Amino acid sequence: MSKQWSGVNRRELIGGAVAFGLTAPLMVYARTQKRQKAQVVIVGGGYGGVTTAKYLKKENPNLDVVLIEERPFFMSCPMSNHFLTGLMELTPLCFSYNVLEVKHGIRVLNDKVLGVELDKKVVRTSSGYIAYDYLVLSPGIDYDVEDKPFYKESLVYNPPAFKPGSEHIYLKRLIEDFEGGDIVITVPPPPYRCPPAPYERAALIASMIKKNNLKAHIYFIDANERPIINSEGFLSAYYDLYKDIATYITSAQVRDIDVHKRVVKTSHGDFKYDLANIIPPMKASGLLEDAGLLRKGQKWVEVNPLTFESSVKNVFVIGDACQSYLPKSGYAAHSEGKMVAKIINARIKGKEVKEEYLQMICYAMVSDKEAIMTETAFRYDTVSKRFVPTHREDNQRKESTAKRYEEWARGLWRDLFG
Amino acid sequence: MDRRDFIKTCGTVAVVSMLNRDFFSQALAQQKDGMFQAYKKALLVKQDGSPLKEEDIKPHVNYIFFYPHTATPCYLLNLGESIPPAEIKLKDGKSYKWGGGVGSKKSIVAYSAICAHQWSYPTPQYSFINYYPPDTPSETTKKAGIIQCCAHLALYDPKAGGSVIDGPAEFPLASIVLQEEGGNFYAVGVLGKDQFQQFFDNYRTELRQQYGSTAKARELVDKCIVMEVDKYVQAVVRC
Ligand SMILES: Cc1cc2nc3c(=O)[nH]c(=O)nc-3n(C[C@H](O)[C@H](O)[C@H](O)COP(=O)(O)OP(=O)(O)OC[C@H]3O[C@@H](n4cnc5c(N)ncnc54)[C@H](O)[C@@H]3O)c2cc1C
Ligand code: FES
Repeated sequence: MSKQWSGVNRRELIGGAVAFGLTAPLMVYARTQKRQKAQVVIVGGGYGGVTTAKYLKKENPNLDVVLIEERPFFMSCPMSNHFLTGLMELTPLCFSYNVLEVKHGIRVLNDKVLGVELDKKVVRTSSGYIAYDYLVLSPGIDYDVEDKPFYKESLVYNPPAFKPGSEHIYLKRLIEDFEGGDIVITVPPPPYRCPPAPYERAALIASMIKKNNLKAHIYFIDANERPIINSEGFLSAYYDLYKDIATYITSAQVRDIDVHKRVVKTSHGDFKYDLANIIPPMKASGLLEDAGLLRKGQKWVEVNPLTFESSVKNVFVIGDACQSYLPKSGYAAHSEGKMVAKIINARIKGKEVKEEYLQMICYAMVSDKEAIMTETAFRYDTVSKRFVPTHREDNQRKESTAKRYEEWARGLWRDLFG
Repeated sequence: MDRRDFIKTCGTVAVVSMLNRDFFSQALAQQKDGMFQAYKKALLVKQDGSPLKEEDIKPHVNYIFFYPHTATPCYLLNLGESIPPAEIKLKDGKSYKWGGGVGSKKSIVAYSAICAHQWSYPTPQYSFINYYPPDTPSETTKKAGIIQCCAHLALYDPKAGGSVIDGPAEFPLASIVLQEEGGNFYAVGVLGKDQFQQFFDNYRTELRQQYGSTAKARELVDKCIVMEVDKYVQAVVRC
């Protein structure tokens, strides 16, 4: 997709102040004429953003919905560990944004959002300003590496593959080229995107090494005391299946990384590697800091837990970027997107929405065929004003759970792009 | 009313008029909201081709058949007790009247087996959506006597018109309207929000592989072979 509104020509874009409050590239903001319809602008075409756009239009096809996304296509992080370890091709994980435009009339702008001016209610992109009545921000994560330069350099050499796209392609190549030796995988302290993902990745890499009979050893270095979800299931898989080829080191802090000598220095000693997957700490996308939605020292945006509205009215922050009672997962971002779409549509019509049922399901592979899972239902207790979780884990590794995992993901993709 | 609407309504009248008068008027009322759709009347048969009788429908066994299209799966259940009619309420404020069970004990019900959440359905390889008899509760939710989809844990109540008990589904399972005539069972239409459009949109490739073409998959049936689900599906996935 070229850098333009797919489906909207350039004249409309620049002269389209009527519809979009847009200006010429000079970026002088002017609203020449009052728009007739409310306009919702969504930043980020990942799990949260696409869901919001789709559900806004599903309920209210006449609404103006603009989705701004800098990547040319959607790539799913869920199931990407399958791709990295050869259990799945890349294509099933990727979807074109054209579908959203063609099937649902969502205007997709393939561009980078450079800033958000909350006081003026505009979003700044390289194509111009876009005015909004409602703003949904779902820009995901950034790696929190500013105060640790060694992590910064490592991002290039040892891609974390926690943001979808080229990092995955490069890490996959490194894994394919690996012929044996030592592997280091590191897990940051929480909260980070997708709590079980590093544990799943370690298990799948171990499983791949076993399957390919490679002479290799994995040093799995965790900042946490134990896997922070499905701990029993992961530990029994590590100790039953990979004991001879992997060492699990817990409560260990990464202190330095020498990408040239290929050494990770930790509070539990130095580890030389032939292949490394260094997963750094994470925080909300820098865009939110620039917008003023993150206070100094804060890593995630505080939102009203019932509505996902930020401190600014009609500005919602969803997905991994916000601080919520839900884990940072695609399923949570999807549920939040649906809920926020309902809230916005109701507000436009001057209505209230009922309290929502929220539930979390998380699957993780522990071998190339078997998976474990967890399910958490949340109920809002109006007295204590807190969300009360009911948490159920199935830590018995099963092939049927692996099949359910695939169906879980395919269901989401059907919902978003089908 | 345009010509197409008129023909559709006449079709509905022709089919439902074979049912009792009460249902006839209800179905017409529902037709206004588009909640009842009449399809070809189809005889339920056993695998040997002979008509399915009440005694063939064992209590709490999960049976599958395909209706109204060649490729749209439905579940047939004998719930072992009389199932009264019910008013089924949808989240969007609409509602419809569901007629309850059929058969001598009014215990036989049928639903579309396409999950109303994200359209998981029983294929020859896997069924993630299944019936859990009263003595076989779900391991995850501990609930029994339900239809549960293991993809994202949508739970439906077969005793209450397939309405949502819990989980992420926004709509009940669509119910298949059954009619008993002279000891034989017929499917005559679909009540509720069917998900056929999404089903055909999403599974084009799979359906082409299984049926040769999507047109074939969409063909309306006039006979439905009923079989136990684990005879149709290689792996019934319970959770
Ligand atoms: C390896 C791995 C496995 C995972 N497995 C699972 C799983 O099994 N189940 C599960 O539920 N979750 C899983 N997740 C987590 C899931 O991917 C995230 O939680 C989810 O993507 C969060 O959605 P989001 O909308 O917040 O962010 P994203 O999906 O990351 O979307 C953010 C989008 O915003 C765009 N963007 C950012 N800044 C700008 C800007 N300035 N201008 C324009 N566009 C911008 C980005 O390009 C991106 O497309 C996994 C994650 C990883 C890394
Ligand atoms: S598809 Fe059945 S629960 Fe989601």
